[in-house]
Amino acid sequence: MNQLERLLNEFLQQKLQNQTRRHFLMDCVSKVGGLAMVPLLFGCEPGTIKKSQGLNLSDRDLNPLAPLPPPFAPKAKSIIYLHMAGAPSQLELFDYKPELVKYDGKACPESLLEGRQFAFIRGVPNILGPQAKFSQHGQSGAWVSDYLPHFSSVVDEVAFLKAVHTDQFNHGPAQLFMQTGSPRLGRPSIGSWVTYGLGTENKNLPGFVVLTSGGKTPDAGKSVWGSGFLPSVYQGVQCRSKGDPVLYLQDPEGMTRDMKKSVIQAINSANEESFKDFGDPEILARINQYEMAYRMQIEVPEVMNINDEPEAIQKLYGTKPGEESFANNCLLARKLVEKGVRFVQLYDWGWDTHGTSKKESIDSGLRQKCQEIDRPITALLLDLKQRGLLEETLVVWGGEFGRTPMQENREGKVQGWKGRDHHGDAFTMWMAGGGIKKGASYGITDDFGFAGLDERVSVHDIHATILHLMGFDHEQFTYDFQGRPFRLTDVEGELIHSILA
Amino acid sequence: MDFLLPLFGRFHPLFVHLPIGILFFAVLLIFLSKKKKNNFSQVIPIAFLTGTVFAFLSAISGFFQYQHEGYTWETVRIHLILGWCTVALSAWLYFSFRSKPDVTKIRKIQSGGLLLILILTGHFGGNITHGDDYLFEVLPSGLQTFLGIEIEQSKPLELPTENWEELAFYEGAIQPILNHNCISCHNPKNMKGELDLTSSEGLLGGGEGGKIVNQGNAENSKLFSRLILPKEDEEHMPPKEKRQPRKAEIELIKAWIENGGSMDQTLGDSKVSTSLISQFFAKEKIPFYPKTTLQGISSDTLSKLREKGFFIENIALDNPLLRVSCINFPAFEDKDWELLNSVSEHIAYLDLSDSKASASILDSLGSSSNITVLKVNGLEITGENLFSLKNCQNLKLLYLNSTDVTMESLSLLDGHPTLEKVYVFKTPASSQEKKNFSFELETGDYLLPKLATDTIVY
Repeated sequence: MNQLERLLNEFLQQKLQNQTRRHFLMDCVSKVGGLAMVPLLFGCEPGTIKKSQGLNLSDRDLNPLAPLPPPFAPKAKSIIYLHMAGAPSQLELFDYKPELVKYDGKACPESLLEGRQFAFIRGVPNILGPQAKFSQHGQSGAWVSDYLPHFSSVVDEVAFLKAVHTDQFNHGPAQLFMQTGSPRLGRPSIGSWVTYGLGTENKNLPGFVVLTSGGKTPDAGKSVWGSGFLPSVYQGVQCRSKGDPVLYLQDPEGMTRDMKKSVIQAINSANEESFKDFGDPEILARINQYEMAYRMQIEVPEVMNINDEPEAIQKLYGTKPGEESFANNCLLARKLVEKGVRFVQLYDWGWDTHGTSKKESIDSGLRQKCQEIDRPITALLLDLKQRGLLEETLVVWGGEFGRTPMQENREGKVQGWKGRDHHGDAFTMWMAGGGIKKGASYGITDDFGFAGLDERVSVHDIHATILHLMGFDHEQFTYDFQGRPFRLTDVEGELIHSILA
Repeated sequence: MDFLLPLFGRFHPLFVHLPIGILFFAVLLIFLSKKKKNNFSQVIPIAFLTGTVFAFLSAISGFFQYQHEGYTWETVRIHLILGWCTVALSAWLYFSFRSKPDVTKIRKIQSGGLLLILILTGHFGGNITHGDDYLFEVLPSGLQTFLGIEIEQSKPLELPTENWEELAFYEGAIQPILNHNCISCHNPKNMKGELDLTSSEGLLGGGEGGKIVNQGNAENSKLFSRLILPKEDEEHMPPKEKRQPRKAEIELIKAWIENGGSMDQTLGDSKVSTSLISQFFAKEKIPFYPKTTLQGISSDTLSKLREKGFFIENIALDNPLLRVSCINFPAFEDKDWELLNSVSEHIAYLDLSDSKASASILDSLGSSSNITVLKVNGLEITGENLFSLKNCQNLKLLYLNSTDVTMESLSLLDGHPTLEKVYVFKTPASSQEKKNFSFELETGDYLLPKLATDTIVY
């Protein structure tokens, strides 16, 4: 008996062993039952070999990332979402409150605290005046503080939302709410909805890429770019911010591209077999991901390499090649969008300025964070603009909530550093690019910057507006799950017309 | 059987017309009766009986509708009470006619009363469904004021984009602003501060504090100065809880006073800046992509082109126009354009960036009259072929980044009727002296200054 025969015999034996009684019974249930269903479901539809498994599969199931036309002509074809995880203080950046100076160090009026709950503030805290110097910039006269000197030169490209509100005051739920429309786990993120609705344009790249910086991923974990109840092929693909963006992209020595291809084909045909047996759509997702990974080898090394960018561009962004930095991620975001990626999500961690340490203080840590993003975000807007990509790319900036006008007094004690607690009643976000009215400002807050007085905007409103710019009606864009259609905006959300061009 | 009552309620709009007609007919018969002959005595009770029955059905069904359809008591009160009065009065008239069929003067007055109640019931019912101002809305505004109807706030001022110069400054622009912002409190019926702003006479007449327009001097005219007071100020107008006028509206009032506050000057004769005027132009939503009557391309054709490597997709679900890109087809050459022949008219967005196409591809685009966005970044385009783009009569955005175009060659596109913006980042043109073209030119090369604060460690 030669070696080959022995192998073959072993294989057959293994195959027989794999067929247990349970498999037989299950096959009886699924296949005999399925057989009865075939004429009911498909009648005499020709050419549906795969469908004759008794599964109702659409082309979308088999090729989930194929591009689809949006329901309406879109204003933006890609999104770069800059999420400042930890929640930056609107009172030091954009929401100028001169009145607050007068109350600095004085006890907070009881009326603001009545019936309120804060993450850390207890009792009666003191008011903390703005720690930054504000001035008006550009033709639009937007107020921006000296914490963002570069950004203040491009305010005329931007539309500010100054009275955004959320009902969550802890990071995890608030981040989930901001990214998935629900503070609880299980909903698809904005990027997943968009890739589900539009597919990917560049067949060698995923439609939804996530990049993180600041040394930590968001508190809510990877669910903020998860696909929830959508097939998992639509979840965000996180690329490493340091070293190889995707591990094992380089073929090991001795492995040729053709060999790799036949390996993946073999794995995929095995997966197809088990898909035929079990009919689990997640197996299709796995097949697609193997194929995507193989194709990504072509494009990713080039797209994810910022070293080839000219020096002027490197300087513009202030990149730090080889390190994990927000500036690198901004430059990567532009490159990805240029290559047809639909949704690039950036998370930058380190904005949770409670005043418990120097690094987490308003006057020092926050300023340092601002310095880290000031040049990159400005450069990103300018670079998109000079390439004409700003015409068709929507840039969104914001945190998961804002911060209190009061100084934090954790456990009733004044902190050693100036800090502010979590606060969701009114905070600032901005958008720029495709379909956004340049230089607009929407939303008015009270003299303390505590609550929105007029033109308030909810998280759902922001989602509705983002989907609108991508060519969707947020009320029509649904996915059936657990017996009812689901929307990103659930049962709420209104377009923010005032910031649309 | 919970649905029966609401269903019955929904018959209310059907029932209500019957008593109106029948009772009207009954009252008519009474007035047509000859005293001696008593010729309708047989018919009148029958008319009142059927009228009463249907009035009763209407009232009952109306009640159920009020109960089940979310109307408040405030809304239906007067209609409901009058409805039941109609039922009672017509029933009473029926019984009294049955016992004594004479038509007397008293009965004529009674039935006249019934008619009045009937009309009022119908009117208030109509107001519930059509809105309070349904009837009066169509009356001329002078008559409305005369009748003392609360004046519905008019629409904000919009000026026509053409021939606005011939509009009278006051009548065409200022009065509409006042109508929109002021006259709910300053009208002949409700003259707050003894001021009427519904007419030029009222405006010039001023209020309890005297004149409010000091011609030629806006700062000393209360019509303007009280608008720009801080919102918290007692004297600020409109009161802070009311909707505030737009900045441009205040500017225009100022401009009118400074121009002499004349009643017959036209906008064109005044020295108002065109930029201020343009803020009042009606915003016409012009779709970005051209409207088209083309038939959609079959999905078969599209999938065949996708197999060739094109990214090809309708710009929107029900729109036959296409977005075509070579993003997955970097080997695209000039001869591959033939593949797109069957869809070339449909292409609205074409991206040939970084492909192997040459400059002469631009000459082929003439048949694609719907191209709105054209990207040819990174192709070897020097200039002269740009002239062919004159044929693309819908071209709005042109991307020529990383090509070899110069300012001189770009002048070939000058005067293109639809072209809005041309991108020439990383081209010889971007370092040349900027020329004035009919389109906006984006040359890029942005730099950010080095600031001392960039390197401070906080």
